Formats: sequence, C-alpha cells, structure tokens
Amino acid sequence: MSVLELREITKVFPGVVANDHVSLSLEEGEIIALLGENGAGKTTLMNVVYGLLSCDGGELLVDGRPVKIKSPRHAIDLGIGMVHQHFMLVQPLTVTENIVLGHEPARFGVIDFATARKKVLEISARYGLKVDPDSRIMDLSVGMQQRVEILKALYQGARILILDEPTAVLTPQEVRELFAVVRSLVNEGLSVVFITHKLEEVMAVADRILVMRDGRLVGETRPSDTDTVGLARMMVGRDVVLRVEKAPRACGDTVLEVDGLHVKDDRGLEAVRGVALSVRGGEIVAIAGVDGNGQREIVESIVGLRKPTSGTIRLKGEDITHASARSSIEAGVSHIPEDRHRRGLILEFTIAENLMLGDHRLAPYSTRGLMRPTAVTAMAKRRIVDYDVRTPSERVLASALSGGNQQKVVVAREIGRDPELLVAAQPTRGLDVGAIEFVHRQILKERDSGKAVLLVSLELEEISALADRILVIYEGRIVKEFAAGEADDETLGFYMTGGGGSKLAPETGATGARGEGER
Amino acid sequence: MLGDILTPDLFASALRMATPLALAAIGGTLCERSGVVNIALEGIMLIGAFAAAAAGLATGSGWLGLLAAIAAGVAVSAIHAFSSINLKSDQVVSGTAINILALGVTGFLMELLYGHPGTTDPVPQMLRPVFHFPNGGEGVLGTVWTWINSIVFSHTPIVYLAIAVAVIAQWAMYRTRWGLRLRALGEHPRAADTVGINVSRGRWIAVMMSGALGGMAGANLVLEQVGSFTENMTNGRGFIALAANIFGRWTPVGSYLASLLFGFADALQIKLQLFRAEIDIPPQFFLMLPYVLTVVVLAGVIGRAVSPAAVGVPYEKG
Ligand SMILES: Nc1ncnc2c1ncn2[C@@H]1O[C@H](COP(=O)(O)OP(=O)(O)O)[C@@H](O)[C@H]1O
Ligand SMILES: [Mg+2]
Repeated sequence: MSVLELREITKVFPGVVANDHVSLSLEEGEIIALLGENGAGKTTLMNVVYGLLSCDGGELLVDGRPVKIKSPRHAIDLGIGMVHQHFMLVQPLTVTENIVLGHEPARFGVIDFATARKKVLEISARYGLKVDPDSRIMDLSVGMQQRVEILKALYQGARILILDEPTAVLTPQEVRELFAVVRSLVNEGLSVVFITHKLEEVMAVADRILVMRDGRLVGETRPSDTDTVGLARMMVGRDVVLRVEKAPRACGDTVLEVDGLHVKDDRGLEAVRGVALSVRGGEIVAIAGVDGNGQREIVESIVGLRKPTSGTIRLKGEDITHASARSSIEAGVSHIPEDRHRRGLILEFTIAENLMLGDHRLAPYSTRGLMRPTAVTAMAKRRIVDYDVRTPSERVLASALSGGNQQKVVVAREIGRDPELLVAAQPTRGLDVGAIEFVHRQILKERDSGKAVLLVSLELEEISALADRILVIYEGRIVKEFAAGEADDETLGFYMTGGGGSKLAPETGATGARGEGER
Repeated sequence: MLGDILTPDLFASALRMATPLALAAIGGTLCERSGVVNIALEGIMLIGAFAAAAAGLATGSGWLGLLAAIAAGVAVSAIHAFSSINLKSDQVVSGTAINILALGVTGFLMELLYGHPGTTDPVPQMLRPVFHFPNGGEGVLGTVWTWINSIVFSHTPIVYLAIAVAVIAQWAMYRTRWGLRLRALGEHPRAADTVGINVSRGRWIAVMMSGALGGMAGANLVLEQVGSFTENMTNGRGFIALAANIFGRWTPVGSYLASLLFGFADALQIKLQLFRAEIDIPPQFFLMLPYVLTVVVLAGVIGRAVSPAAVGVPYEKG
C-alpha cells in the first residue's frame, strides 16, 4: 500500500494552472524524484500535500485513507515533513529552539529545554546527523542548516519526507553527505520525495523518477531505464544541449588586473584577504568556491558597489579601484549580479525600462535630460528578439516574467551594452536547463568576440563548462589555480572546502596528498 | 548645589517618570517581536489616559479607572491589529491614523462629556503609594534609609506593576512556549506557519497586549502623576517609548532600563527648572532634554540595533 497517494490534484493560480490533474504515489521506503524545470509546479504540488496551499481539485490519500490536509499542523500530525527550498529557520534562535518550535516539550507553558535538547541529541545520533544543539542558526553553514531542517521534520515524527531542491545550495561533498543521509532515512523506514531540476542527482538517488512540465506529469521512469539526455528531453519537451560547444581560446591583452585586494563585508569583517587575479580578452576566468568566501565582495569591488580597503583594480591599465558604479559602467564593466531580484532588475519597472537601466542618461535613450521613448522601445524590441525573452510586449512588468526570462533581460542589458569586461555572478542561479543553455551560449559568445569574462559560480558543472582558467577561493584567498579540464569536481571541492585542513576531505585519498603547496 | 540636585527624590522621580515610558516600551517590544510595528502607542496611551480619567470621575474609583484604561487600550489596539493583520495595510499608516484619531476623539469627548476643552476636573481618587514608611532617623543609617525609602518604597502601584511586567515579560519571552513562538513570528512568520503556529492569532495577541500596556501607561499618567486628563497630555511619550524599545534591543528588561534613562532625563529636567534663578538658562532648554537624549541615543544605536527581521511586513499565506 502506498504511504502517500495523489489523485488528479489540480491547483490554479490567477492566470496559471500550476498543477493540472497530477496523480502519483509513494511507496514505503521509496525515494521518488520529482523532476521539472522552474515553474513546472513541483513546489506547488508539495505545498498542497503539506497543507500550505489548498487544492482546487483532486484527492489525497495517506496510508490509503483519504484526507483533507488543511494546515501544516495537520500534515505534520499525519507524518508528513517538508524541507523547503528556502529554509524555514528562525535565524537568531538556536538549533534546539528551531527544531522544537511548534511542538515544544513544556509544563504549564514553560518550555523544558533540558528535555528538548536531549531529544534533539537523540534523533541526531540515531540518524547520524551531527549538529550542535546550542548554536544559533545564523552561525551555521548552509549545509548544517539543512541538517537542522531535516532534524526538525524527524523530531515532528515525519515518515514521509519532502525535500524541495535540497541540493541547490550545497557543495559537492555536502551533496554526497545528503545522499547518504537520505539513504539511511529510507533504511529506517521513511519514504522520500526528492524535488530537483538537476539530472545527475536524480540518476544518483532516485528509485523512481516522475517528470513534471507546465503543471502536468509528463513521464515516469527509473534511473536504469534512462539517461540524462533522455530526462532532459522529457523535462524540457525538446532536445537540449547539456554542455555547449566551446571553441579553443584565443587570448588577447590583459583587460582586468586585480592586485592585493582587501575588502570588508557588511559586518566589517575582512572578507577578501589579498586577492590577485587577471583576466585577458577572449578568456573566461572562473572563481570557484563555497558561497560566502569573499566572492560577493570581490565582484562588488570590481563593479564599483563596494569600496576595497586596499589593493588596486585596473581595467585596460586604467585604475578603477575607487570608481563608482556609474563610472565603472562607463569604463566598460558590465555586471550580471547574483541576485536578479535585488540588484539585477527593478521588478516594478517594465522590461523596456529595465533594459535601459544604466544607459538611461546616454543618447539615444535620453537627450538633455529627457527620455526618448521611441528609442527605448526600439532598443527593447530588438533585444527581446535577440535574446529570446518570452513576453507579449516590452511594456510588461519585469515581475511578471518567469525567472529564466528575467535573467535573459539582465543578460540582454549587460551584454547588449558591449562591455570590455563582463562580470557574471552566478548567472544561472535557479534557472532550468533550457535557460542555462541560453545564458551559457551568450557568455561564450562574449568570450569568442574577444571580451574578458570573470565568472563567479557555486556550480562546478557551470565552471567546468565555461571556464578557461579556474581560481579556487577559500576564506577570502585564492588558494589554487587550474587550467580548464585540469581538475575534476572532487579536486575542486576539496580545495573549496579548505584543502587538507578540512573535515570534509574526500575519502578517495587520490587528492588527499595535494593539500599543501598552495600559494 | 549638586547635593541639592542629586537628592533621593530625583531618583524616585526618575522611576516615576520612567513608568509610562517603560509600559509602552514593553508593549512596543511585544508587538514588534510578533512582527507588527506599533507607532500607535502614543494614541493608545492618550486614549487610555482619557478612559482612566473618565471612569475615575464617573465611578470615583482609581482602580476602575485603571481597568477602563486597559480596556480602552486593548480596544484601540484591536483597530491596529485588524488593519495590520487582517487587512494587511501599512502599519505605519495605520498607527499614524490611530494617533490622529486619538487626539480628535479625546478632544471631542472632552467637549461632549464635560462641556469644555483643555483639562478635566481632578479625579476623586488617585492611586496612592503602596507603602508608608517614615523617612529619616539620625546619622548615616538614617540617610541610607531615607534614600532607600524614597527610591524603593515611595511608589504608587503601577510603578511596581511596570517593574513586575518587565521581569515577567522577559522571563516569559525566553522561557515559555508563548515567548519562543512570539520571537519566531517576528523573525520568520512563514517558518512559524510551517510548524503549525497560527501567525494571525499570535500577532493579534501581541498587539492587544501592547494595547493593554499602553492603556496602563495612560492610567499611570492620570491616576498616579497628574490627577486629571489634559488634551494631548502624552506629549510624545509613545514615541520616546518606541525609542526606548529600540535602545533596549527589543527586550522587556532592556526597554525598562532604557526608559529609566529617559525617565531620569525628564526628572532632571524638572529638577533643574527649580534652580532657574541660579543657572541662568531658559527653561525651554531643560524641557528639550529628554527629546535631545532620544535623538542622540537613537543616532548612536540605531545602525547597530537589529530589529526583528519580519517587522512591519504583513504575512501572506501560500
Ligand atoms: N503564490 C503564487 N501565486 C501565483 N502564482 C504562483 C504562486 N506560486 C507559484 N505560482 C506559479 O505556479 C507555477 C508553478 O510554480 P512552482 O510550483 O514554484 O514551480 P517549481 O517549484 O516547479 O519551480 C509557476 O508558474 C509560478 O509562477
Ligand atoms: Mg520550486
């Protein structure tokens, strides 16, 4: 008997059918992968199961009994736990407080913290999920926070665990650890729904694969019956190139030269500790690292959004160390920011307005302080076609576009400006394979036309697909440099997590001896 | 002269002056910890003060005045709760509207009930000091006793109540189920929702608690300090209380201690006015003191103080 069964679940948002008669079942001790592009409706479907959303049609069965799940509390009571894509953790509270929140052991309303702590340690020992019960969430790494989320679900007595894009934020080592955890959970009798849009993961972890597209379930298969190309086709509905072709590199003059760079982060702590790097025309230099090791601060210094404490940044020999964002654009630096909502776009502006930002004071978009709407519209129409932005018109608000199309608008603006240097920070974050392919092609086109590209990415796949040279960053320092193809993911991951000094060292041993000798 | 200024009753007066600020500040703390900004505290306090005076005059009882003030505070805060939580309107706008409404309503009711603007008759029964110990005695011990007696034992009930509220609220916030959930609500309401905590209900309760405390603050002004109601008698205390809440880093005891600082500035200001002849400075300058202190304190602190992450943001389900 299935522990969970969905029959013809339908969920309609204004203007979108997010789930269109979706039926699926989950057996005890099974891992199913729910695979689909962004916007396919995976999260919505699971939010319905978890009681966060009510469905407009269909039926849910838990242990063969029909249920109407009205609230998360109800779902929890039925043994359903969910680890959300965006963690549901209260940052200033401790691990224990977060885990017991909502189900606190208490006498007359007074929380019994000793019992709470003991229970947390018990569960953590039982499933091999080590955490410090007294740390505050904000002091933990992302991987650790995810562990707390899983513990929270287990503490609440989950037998069915839903993991929504759990690997999006993890390093390769952490991904492997997570897979091990998931398998041990299944051995303990849990059943798991694993949501992702990454094909390799599905192949590695799932017993059964369900593919969603445009709110519908379009296919079911098993890892043994398919491969990543087949899955991609099922997911996108057409053939996709998972790895774009790359021409050999033809290097030109040095465009960007950074030397002795020190930068502080928002809290005033030194985040970049003496970084030197250079990028030449016609090459893509990638900075690989775990999030929060100084990448953001390097990027912001180069594009004029943050003042370095010392060091120099030169663009074609010209000192731009203290340039403002405006003069850095004028000098020829374009920036695809890591967060398209906060920095890349003004969501309340139209696509045309967003496409013009940064160039708005220049002819032909404005003359003598007045906007020239016809010029803006003409430019927008042209770029919408050139960059394949799927939208009914250039007057649509940026907020109305899907993530992939929003990113295309950012890319269109930044590359369309024809810069000397393109700084791309996580340019495909949260995008699905189709959109990733597009963005990668655009970045390679820049390189092939002789421009310099500095790429920052947390995705090793992206780095190995694009980079000509790879710089590994750890705690604000470049700890290792590789030429393209010189290092595999394991090796990169090893240096990204602190090299020889790290507990997360891979067990292969092959790379273990290389911990020393960085500059 | 310093000896004439730094007397036991200066400190006792600081404690009295701090009381309405502290009650409102703790109200602000609870409210903001739940994720709702409450700049309506000024108006809530004013309406509380009016209710205390009106009920005191009508019934002749100070205690019934206090109850009426609390009830009125809760009722007004319910307006704020409804518009912020249910209607999801802008909390600053809602709070401002309530402040303006409070000024208008109390003025209007003055005319309606008492036939004149300005100040009401004195309430027949104020709340009296709880203890009555004689001061003094001979020698050093006598002086020490006088200090202790003035600072610790000379106060009216709501002054002690405020201290109790600070301590109990602090304990409850960090030790009880309610407190843990309250802290979660203001930081990450969605996280609270996903573990089955009712966000709207939690916020409603917190806003109404702040209303009760704001009402109590108003009652203190009328029943323990002034003895009658005067239009706009709160005079910005609700806003100073919010500053105290920030200065106290969104904790009840912190709010109380910060209020004590502002209360001291107020007491000092009053005291210094007595020495107008000796210190040749215009009295307006002293009146300014507590407000200047507020600005200075906030300018020094505000960048570093971290407010609850979700404060001021209406919670959208789904
Ligand atoms: N709260 C919401 N209101 C309106 N539309 C929504 C909401 N949540 C999701 N959608 C839409 O529903 C579709 C499915 O979204 P989602 O379930 O998040 O996809 P996935 O998790 O597969 O990336 C998308 O088109 C998205 O824009
Ligand atoms: Mg999703």
